[in-house]
Amino acid sequence: MASSLERTDMPDAAATLTEDRQTVELTALSAPAVAFTVGMIAFPVVYTIWLSFQSFSSTGQQSFVGLGNYAKLVSDNEFWHGLWVTVALYVLSLVLQLFFGVWLALVLFRAKRLPGIVRSLLISPFMMPPVVAGMMWLVILDPSLGAANYILTSLHLPPSDWLASPTWVIPTVALIDTWQWTPYVALIVLGGLQSLPPSVYEAAQIDGASSFKTFQRITLPLLLPTVVTATILRSVDLLRFFDIIYITTQGGPGNASNTLNIYGFRVGFEFFNIGYASALMLTLTAIVLGVVLAFNRLRGAVAW
Amino acid sequence: MRGKALAAQLMLSVIVAGTAGSARAADFNWKKFQGKTVTFLANNNPISAALLTHKADFEKLTGITLKVDGYQEQQMRQRLVTVMNAHSDEVDVFMTLPSREGAQFAAAGWYADLTPLTRNEVAPDYDYAGLSQALLKAATYDGKLTSMPMNIEGPVLYYRTDIFKKCGVDAPKTIADVEAAAKKIKACDSSITPFVSRGLKPALPYTFSNFLHNMGGNYMVNGKSALCSPKDKAALETYSGLLRDYGPPGVVNYSFPQISALYRAGRAAMDFEASNELRTVMEGGDRLKDTALIPLPAGDAGQVPTAIGWGIAVSANSKQPDAAWYFVQWATSPAVQKLLAVEGIAPPRSSVASDPAYRKWIEEQPVRKQWQAALDVLAAKGSSEVGYPIVANPESREFIGQAVQALILKQKSVDQACADADKQLDALIAKK
Repeated sequence: MASSLERTDMPDAAATLTEDRQTVELTALSAPAVAFTVGMIAFPVVYTIWLSFQSFSSTGQQSFVGLGNYAKLVSDNEFWHGLWVTVALYVLSLVLQLFFGVWLALVLFRAKRLPGIVRSLLISPFMMPPVVAGMMWLVILDPSLGAANYILTSLHLPPSDWLASPTWVIPTVALIDTWQWTPYVALIVLGGLQSLPPSVYEAAQIDGASSFKTFQRITLPLLLPTVVTATILRSVDLLRFFDIIYITTQGGPGNASNTLNIYGFRVGFEFFNIGYASALMLTLTAIVLGVVLAFNRLRGAVAW
Repeated sequence: MRGKALAAQLMLSVIVAGTAGSARAADFNWKKFQGKTVTFLANNNPISAALLTHKADFEKLTGITLKVDGYQEQQMRQRLVTVMNAHSDEVDVFMTLPSREGAQFAAAGWYADLTPLTRNEVAPDYDYAGLSQALLKAATYDGKLTSMPMNIEGPVLYYRTDIFKKCGVDAPKTIADVEAAAKKIKACDSSITPFVSRGLKPALPYTFSNFLHNMGGNYMVNGKSALCSPKDKAALETYSGLLRDYGPPGVVNYSFPQISALYRAGRAAMDFEASNELRTVMEGGDRLKDTALIPLPAGDAGQVPTAIGWGIAVSANSKQPDAAWYFVQWATSPAVQKLLAVEGIAPPRSSVASDPAYRKWIEEQPVRKQWQAALDVLAAKGSSEVGYPIVANPESREFIGQAVQALILKQKSVDQACADADKQLDALIAKK
């Protein structure tokens, strides 16, 4: 009590001085951590930008080409194809994951039996390392030895080439990613559902709104900020899609699943053109940032 | 007269070099670098797995600590690119595939020259001359020896004698026989895949090159890509046709794991895959009694099998190349290669191939005898040309793969596929 009185009686100037000292001390204490973090982020980015202005020959000889790599990128058919594959895979996977994620969250929200077990089972796909998931699906979808075609033929349905078909490879990869990441979206949406105010539902019930109307007019609009958050998180991953494709198709058949990330990796680490690979990856980074910023603005617009 | 003098001079220099070499070998001490630590960047394949089971022997023999940094093949290269571009000395010794990246890594200056080490720092029983001269030559660039051979391997044709018998097919003697056998087997038993080999884009040049060379084709003629030459086109059509018409569905994603699994499961009649897949193919013992094995039968140019080998190299950035060389020397010594041979790693030394313990292992199974006979053909007639003989060899494989896949998937005619590939490959060849 005495100390509280003393603090109240402290002159304003002395209090300001103490606050200033505290601010200085806090800044000094956190400065190394902040500098380290900034360095860890800034150095690779700046270094990659510098690399993107260089050209590397097959033997590793380096020369400055300014914006040459970016000019090359504009006229590179493989880049545009990679961008198309990236966008197609992104849109298809995102739509599937949001649709099934919201649906699964609603089912879980209403599930009264064994919610703990169900939720533990749900997170198992995305806890699985992508290499394991990729290898597992590669075996399941093998057109000759895999279980998928065995099931189809047992049901008198025509077998598919799955990952070996230029037409079906993108939908198949999108389905694998959807299998792995839908539960993640569902858990985020479930968190959102649990935080919705019950009073709105009580009011809807009193007004005699049907279940569908309640979902359409109340649940969905109120869930939108959560859905947009899930969209942002999945967008970052999906636009940088790499692991499953690398394990299952390596960008094939032909170039049918050659995303920008796969293309950049091969240019950099297999063909040794680190400069052009850096330009490709910085362009992809800009695309990811653009999408994230756009969805961030959308999140602001739908917040309640 | 001048010729005789020159011959005498040459003889004298050989004797002097030999005496000096013997003197150096006599002074050789395995413990010279005791207490040092050597870092080995390894590809997690059967060769390194077999070698590293004897790691403790090396450490006991030399007193050197061996630090192993193991990755899958692609990841190993990725790590190497990062380390070497940073001029880091983190890696002393690494595994390399000269037929793929040899020219590229040599031109980038990543390999230490092993020539002086093989002359001045060798154990008396190393037997440098006993190593496959073809593989040593394939690892020599601008007179510099860049790596020591760890094994010899190449694609061979595994085929099912029981299915051949059931369908009335004789063992193929030519590539045309392989096509005829596939056709007959397809008609005879629709549940069997008649022929399987690599269809995965970056992997297929390894098997396709053997077809190309046997059929008299060449990747390059007069400094230009020659995939549209008649013999190259015939090879493209034959290889892709076999996979398209007689291969398994989805063959465009097939490399050695899928191929060996299919054949081992009894689902394929012919399997054209690496010789070092023998152990995998025979796993479980189901294929031991019904498999025969031969090099790819002859084409218009006879038999020109693909013969390559993994090498072990010392990094040009290593701060202790001499100690690193001791590990390389131990790993490629006759004693160690004998140990690896009975684990199914085909030795790149004729002395090991005739070693009694190895012979005993070979004689245990008829298929092993055929395997060794095929390897002898590979060693005698083999070509290490897999993809274009240019610095950008890995990138050239991409375009070969694209052409073959376009034909398998019927996306292009052979003229279109070869013309597109030639255009891209000529640009690659022109690039410095």
